Order: sequence, then structure tokens, then C-alpha cells
Amino acid sequence: MREQKKEKPLKKHQVVLKVVKYALALSALAYIAVLLLFTGGSSQSFEQISKGVEAVIDTDALTKMTVQDLKRYYGLNGADYEGVSLYVSKSSLSAAEVLMIRVKSVDQIAEISTAIEKRMDVRREDFEEFAPEQVNLIDSATVQIRGDFVFFTISDDAEQYKKAFTDSL
Amino acid sequence: MEFGSISFLFYFLPIAIILYFIVPAKFRNLMLFICNIIFYAWGETAYVILLLISIGFNYICGWDIASHADDPKKSRRSLAVAVIFNVLLAGFFKYYKWVLGTLNVLFSVEIAYRELPIPLGISIYTLQILSYLIDVYRKKVRPQKNLLNFAVYVSMFPQMISGVIVSYGEIESQLNRRAVNLNKAGEGVCFFIRGLAKKILLANGMGMIVTEIMNMGFGTYAMMTAWVGSAAFMFQIYFELSGYSDMAVGLAKIFGFQFRRNFAYPYMAVSVRDFWGRWHVSLTNWFHEYVYRPLGSDKKGVARTIGNTILVWSMIGLWYNDSWRFLIWGFLSGVLLVMEQYVYGKYLEKLPKAARHIYILVLLLLGWAFFFNTSVSDSFRYIGSMFGIGVQGFLNLQTISLLGSNWLLFLLCIVGSTPIGYYVLDRMVYNYRNGRGRGGIACLIYLLMFFLTITFFVSGFDSSFLYFSF
Repeated sequence: MREQKKEKPLKKHQVVLKVVKYALALSALAYIAVLLLFTGGSSQSFEQISKGVEAVIDTDALTKMTVQDLKRYYGLNGADYEGVSLYVSKSSLSAAEVLMIRVKSVDQIAEISTAIEKRMDVRREDFEEFAPEQVNLIDSATVQIRGDFVFFTISDDAEQYKKAFTDSL
Repeated sequence: MEFGSISFLFYFLPIAIILYFIVPAKFRNLMLFICNIIFYAWGETAYVILLLISIGFNYICGWDIASHADDPKKSRRSLAVAVIFNVLLAGFFKYYKWVLGTLNVLFSVEIAYRELPIPLGISIYTLQILSYLIDVYRKKVRPQKNLLNFAVYVSMFPQMISGVIVSYGEIESQLNRRAVNLNKAGEGVCFFIRGLAKKILLANGMGMIVTEIMNMGFGTYAMMTAWVGSAAFMFQIYFELSGYSDMAVGLAKIFGFQFRRNFAYPYMAVSVRDFWGRWHVSLTNWFHEYVYRPLGSDKKGVARTIGNTILVWSMIGLWYNDSWRFLIWGFLSGVLLVMEQYVYGKYLEKLPKAARHIYILVLLLLGWAFFFNTSVSDSFRYIGSMFGIGVQGFLNLQTISLLGSNWLLFLLCIVGSTPIGYYVLDRMVYNYRNGRGRGGIACLIYLLMFFLTITFFVSGFDSSFLYFSF
């Protein structure tokens, strides 16, 4: 029987190099997994995700707006994007809003972020005189960017809406 | 961050240059690394960590491969692990959406998946890392001792988004020692301005013509308009890629590095082989050295040579973009190279130079259709339009108007694609009688070029790079 050639045992520094190498490789994989889970967008259609969010929206308090309203409130052209969904409070005493946009190109995210900031400034001015609690609500508004989706909420139910959005992705 | 953006031109770059020049020489690599990370983090904060992990992993891999230098089997195994990791990492980001999308279409299923943007420059730095690891394995270079030097090589911002692939062997000595002086920096500034002008004045101008024609829709334009569209894209992609390459070469010079030029008047080529010797040279050199050669290049018989050529050029096509269009474009390039080599190359050589030149230009005009259309079927439909299928006649007022309103731009692009443009500029800047530069004229010309570029830029010209996510 042919004798199998034995491999030389690794030296101490070679073992260290291997351990560090595989640890770094694993950390890269773990980091990608984290990115996918917490920052990744979705291949699902805008309609599918929109349906998931709309299922939890309080339609007694919020009303769905048109692309013309998007232009009026945010200065954005709905036709420039893959999909747009905007809900605004029915009551003029509430600042509640939910906006979801799917961009055609990630370059568009910057202009949407700017439009959202401007909208928040306008709404702060609208409420600061008579409803300071609404100003606090506006200050606690959140913008989530997940892949090519932008999700913006001003609402007491923001956490619920955000959860519905991320679960739909 | 893009080279042609306000934040880069007026904030990042001047501050980076000033800091780089004022710090003591021994801290310059550290300063450059900090600049690289800021540049990278500007739009891709989440991926900085991935870049740092990748730097650490590959630095260790280099040492791991070298530590088995006396045992080829173990050394090869270490290289294989490193190559597989890097290829899978880049491949995952670049191709998983394409693969899953294709599976969804092929099997009529709806596999939902999370989408992640492609990390900035991953295709560039992965190729650079692979060149380092393979050269360490081949014992052509020693593993880099200094982690900071290695990190500077991998993350260097001038080439990160420009398509310039610098193999480690080319730059190894410069990482330790390089001449940093005002003369070289001045030369770098000239290169940078020329590249910026190519991008903003020429490529963007041509891009507008391409967009105008693409927005017309199939069946609404004449056959010649389709050719004009393809010609406009031919210039757009050349001035865009070569402009960014010039900017990268210029920035590298400012920081004391010497990069090789990436384009050598590709539209002056007279065959497909000649074209690939002039187009995106650093990329074709990389694939030749690290893929074509290990596959056996042309030394293992005709069948193997044909297979290797087609495979390598298909890979080049896919390197540009994760799409069937680019795969087909690369595959066809490989087929044409094979045809030239084994079928009609000898007849082609006998043709007058002008005829050979027309041959390659026609092939390029047809081939670029796969780049600027959005699907394979649209690409073939567009090529059909170029042969008169489903068009509004041969030539119409629309074509004449397009050419009439853009004749100067086309003329500048034609001249700029030949050595004549550079020759004229060079003669204006240098006095060859006394071998000295005309400093005043040079300043005036480059300042004028810069201000003209900025004027176009601030008046709403798009600064985005066609292949920003290489």
C-alpha cells in the first residue's frame, strides 16, 4: 500500500493567521446579514408593500391623497417615482402623515429627504402657535430608507406603521 | 461622492490636498487613508465597515499565502480560500439580484429577496486585491508588511470610482516612497481639469442627445437618427470613462502616485483586437494576466484558445454590469476576436486603413446599443432600427435638426477622440523650439476650461457617473 504523505503541522504564527482570517471572513458575512435585515430594500412590488402598510393605517383619522397633493405638500412629482402613497390627517388639528415612496433611482432619495425636511419645517410653523404637542410629534417623526423605499411617518402610531412597513418588505 | 460634484470639488478635494501637503511625509499615507475613508463614507457609510473588514482579511491572507511559500499545496489552498471569498463577496453584491431575477423569470416564480445597493468601487478594489494575492502567491511581490500601506492601496479614492485598476506590483514601491511636489501636482491638476471637461462638456452633452432619442420611442424616428443616437452614446461612454480615468490619473499625480493611462484613442482602432488594446486597458490587462493566462491563454490548442477568449470577454461584459445585455456584448466581442484571429483577420489586414477603421466603427456603433438600451429585446430592436426596420424613413428633419443643433459638439468629440485634439492643446501649452512650457498660456487655457466646465455644471448638468457602481 502506498504510504500517504503526511502534511507538516502548522506553526504557531500560521495558526494565528488562519484563526484571524476565518474570524474576519465570518464577521464580513455576519455584517452583510445585518445589512440585509436592517437596511435592505425589497424585490416586492410597491403595491404589495403598500397593501401591507395600508392594512394598519387608521383610515378614520387619515385620508389617502393624490399625486397632486404630493406636489402641493412636498413639491415632488409623483410620476418621477416608481410608486407613491401619501396619507394626511383628516383633521386640521393633527399633523399626522404617512408617506411612502419607491424611487426609480437611489439618486432621488436625497431630493425626497430635502422635501421631507421642508415639509416638517412648514408643519412646525403651522402648529407652533396653537398646538405645541403636535410640534413635539413632528420632532419625533422618523424617516426610514430601505433600499429604494423611503418611509416617513408623523403619527402617534408611528411604531405600528414602521413595523408594518418593515414586515412587508 | 462623485468627482464632478460641488462637495468634492470645492470642499473635499482642496482640504484633502492642503492637509496632505502640510503633514510631514511620514504621515502622508495616514492622511491619505483618512481622506479615502471620508470619501467612501460620504455616500456609503454602511459599507465602510465592510471595506475595513475586507482590508483586514486580505492583509492577513497575503501573509497566510506567503507563510506557506515552501509548501505549494498549502499556499495554493490559502490562495483559493482568499480568491473564493473575494469573488463571492463582490459577486453577491453585483449579481445576486440578477441571478434571482433571472430565476423568477425562467421558472415563473416570485422569490422575494432583500435588496442592497452595490458597495462603491467593489468591482475595482476586488480586482486590485486579487492582483495582490495572486502576485504574492506567484512570488512576484512580497506581502505588504505595513497594514496602513495596504489599506491605502485598496481604498485609494482617486481610482475607487474611475475604472482604473492598478495592480499591486505597479504601485508597491510608490506606497513606501513617492515624489510629492508642486510640479507634479500642477501636472495632476491639468489632467484632472481635462478629465472633468471631458465628462461635463462632452460626455454630458452627448448623453442629452442619447436621452432625447431614447425618449422618442421606437418607430418614431428615422434610420439615420438611430445611428446618430448610437454615435452620441459612443462618444458619451468614451468621454465619460476616459474623463474619469484622466481625473483619477490627475488626482494620483497630485498625491505623488503614477497611474498608467487607461484609454489610448480607442476609436482610432482598425480591428477589434486593436480596439481592446486601447479601450479600458487596465481592465483588459487584468483579465489577461489573472484569468486568460491561468486558463492557458492561446497555448493549449485552437479549441481551448477560442473557449478562453469567449469566456474572458463574456466575463468582461458581466464585469461592466449584471445584465444579459452586457453578457451578450462581451460574448460577441469574444466571438469577433476569435473570428478576426482565425477566420477573416488575414483578409482584413489587406484592406486599406480607412476601410478597417470603418469596419470597427460600425461594429462599435452596433455593439453600444446593448449598453444604452434597457433590455436585450430593446437592444435588438434598436439595432433593427439602424438597418431600417420599423423606422420613419431613412432620414428626416428630426435627424437634420439633431445634427444641425449639435454639430459643434460632434466635431469636438470627433477631434477629441483622435490624437489631434491633444496635439493642438500640447502645442499651445509647450514651446517645442526651446523645450519650455508656456506657463501663462497654460494657466489661461486650463482656467478657462475649468470655469467653462463649472458654468455648465452649476447650470444643472448631470454629474452622475454612468458606471458609478463599478
